[in-house]
Amino acid sequence: MTPTLFGLLIKAALYTVLISGVSIVIGVTLGMGVAAARLSSRLWLTGPARAYVSFFRGVPLLVQLLLIYNLLPAVGVNVPSVVAAISGLALCTSAYQAENLRGGFTSVPRGLLESAEMVGLTPWQQLIRIRAPIAFRLTLPAIVNEAIIILKASSLVSVVGIVELTRMAQDLDTSLYKPLQLYSAAGLLYFLINRGVASFGRWIEKRMSWGRA
Amino acid sequence: MNFDYALVISRLPEVFHAMGVTLGIWIVSLIGATLLGFAVAVGRRYGPRWLDWILLAYVELFRGTPFLIQLFLLYFGGPYAGLSLDAIPAGVVGLSVYGAAYFSELFRAGFEAVPLGHVEAAQCAGFSRLQIVRRILLPEMTMLVLPSAINLAISLLKDTAIMSVITVPELTLTISALGTEFYAFVESLFLLALCYWGLTEICSGLGRLAERKLSRFRFATP
Amino acid sequence: MTAAAIVVKQLSKSFGETEVLHRIDLEIAEGAATCVIGPSGSGKSTLLRCVAFLEEANSGVIEVFGAPLGFTEDAAGRRTRLPVSKIRAVRAQLGMVFQQFNLWPHMTALGNVSEALKTVRKMPRAEAEERAMAQLRRIGLESRAGHYPSQLSGGQQQRVAIARALALEPKIMLFDEATASLDPELTGEVLAVMRSLAADGMTMVIVTHEIGFAASIGRKIAFLDKGRVLISGSPQEVFGKPRHARIDQFLDTYLDRGAAMLI
Repeated sequence: MTPTLFGLLIKAALYTVLISGVSIVIGVTLGMGVAAARLSSRLWLTGPARAYVSFFRGVPLLVQLLLIYNLLPAVGVNVPSVVAAISGLALCTSAYQAENLRGGFTSVPRGLLESAEMVGLTPWQQLIRIRAPIAFRLTLPAIVNEAIIILKASSLVSVVGIVELTRMAQDLDTSLYKPLQLYSAAGLLYFLINRGVASFGRWIEKRMSWGRA
Repeated sequence: MNFDYALVISRLPEVFHAMGVTLGIWIVSLIGATLLGFAVAVGRRYGPRWLDWILLAYVELFRGTPFLIQLFLLYFGGPYAGLSLDAIPAGVVGLSVYGAAYFSELFRAGFEAVPLGHVEAAQCAGFSRLQIVRRILLPEMTMLVLPSAINLAISLLKDTAIMSVITVPELTLTISALGTEFYAFVESLFLLALCYWGLTEICSGLGRLAERKLSRFRFATP
Repeated sequence: MTAAAIVVKQLSKSFGETEVLHRIDLEIAEGAATCVIGPSGSGKSTLLRCVAFLEEANSGVIEVFGAPLGFTEDAAGRRTRLPVSKIRAVRAQLGMVFQQFNLWPHMTALGNVSEALKTVRKMPRAEAEERAMAQLRRIGLESRAGHYPSQLSGGQQQRVAIARALALEPKIMLFDEATASLDPELTGEVLAVMRSLAADGMTMVIVTHEIGFAASIGRKIAFLDKGRVLISGSPQEVFGKPRHARIDQFLDTYLDRGAAMLI
């Protein structure tokens, strides 16, 4: 494993992190919307939201990626493959994040909302000022977990031609015939990235600990 | 889109065969993963310190890297290390080892979750270690672990799709190949998505049913 | 005759099949503390929560300074729900302190006290924080202004909760078992704050287990049993001998430090 080879893999790994990062951010934001729909009292929102969550959690990510990648051009939407890939990742993770966030929202103790009610906060203000920040904090470990899952799942976008870490290793293998070294190196890089994300997650949790040790 | 029903019907057997491959691989891998995962959990809990370390490394590596990379290592890299596997066996071995890492964590949590009081009571009554595992830990653990185990099993079912990349003739490979053949790629992908959606929903439903039926065995959780 | 701050008329509340409050009539006088006491399950917290409109009664009316809260009932007993703005307007005169404190964990003490001033009263930040600091000073916790609830003792948290309610200058303060979650050593500091509020002439409705405290601070005591007001009157009327048999029974089974004071 020469330095230049490893260098190529590292560059591809950075691309993996970039793609994953954007997908996670979009996914969490989308997930919040879906969670809100799930929690609302209006049936025309909860029904589709449940179907959405069920679909994106029930179909393998690979199939979802293939579907988006081929569906968009078929209906006339021409975007770069990476946009399709990110959309696929984001939609899939948003369903899981929605469930996580929903759990977080319902775990916010009712008393905190009652005291907000008594000092005059409107339901909307309660949601924005009290419920959402606390729910987010409660959901944080699950969100970090899901981020790690997305980083691993991003390996599948190699199938739709994106040259991220997995694809780079594959491409190098076709000319070098060193699968053991290449895929081990790629695996190691994924592993290290995931460790990094886990540490980052712990750091954020500490910053949001609000005085607790 | 030309919907030539006769043509579609004539290829249906292939689809069912592919579904059989998917489900077959899934079930065999599940059995492998549960057994191996349980062995790992037991080894870590009751074995010597050095074994715990080795098994911890295994669990962390296989949970911390993509399944696709693991498959590539096994299928493409294996021959260079003297292990030449065909696609289907590679898929089964890959999914079993991958799933076992996750199952071992489930079982580990299950062991910890059995109330210490129950174990101590058995110890006082003179049960041997083996008897405690068989008569107390296993039954109680099974109930505690069941919901997460069902979720894990369903997620492993979805992971069988990834094997299509190493040419395992399961559902994804077969249906998308048919799609290319009929110039109906997008439609075939929709069909594929629906197949999996249906399968996972059915399995979830069965899982919930199993949980309900077995709930009478649930001991009081502390 | 002092004016009535709150009038409760024929209030009934059921949770499903269980009737928790049965046709309660109660008057809360202005400028004094009214203490609601009684055994567990008597409905005292539910009564307070209905007055705060955190629970909706099934029948009956609540009037705060003459204005109906939540529902109006006509002569035939038909209830009309008032618009949200009306409900908010009446409720704005109430401040509430909870058994579980209910401080928001992601805000400092100062943040908790100033939040409503900023968000509801739309005060500029500096002004809101100044007012909040003044409230914290009043209860002696200005040094803790930058601390999070998790860094405060139970007694301190409850005092911050009181400051939070007072910051909005309510006319009536409601206390729902304010010291029940506190370790005994910490109840003193909270009761002291409540006493000073009473001394300043705040109208208070206090649901409490602290019988001695209730007897000493309350101008009126209401004893609730199984959802009905068994007795209400001055502490002397309720606790003085000869006592109602049920009160005797209640005091007997109820170990209270301050009960000895009442003989």
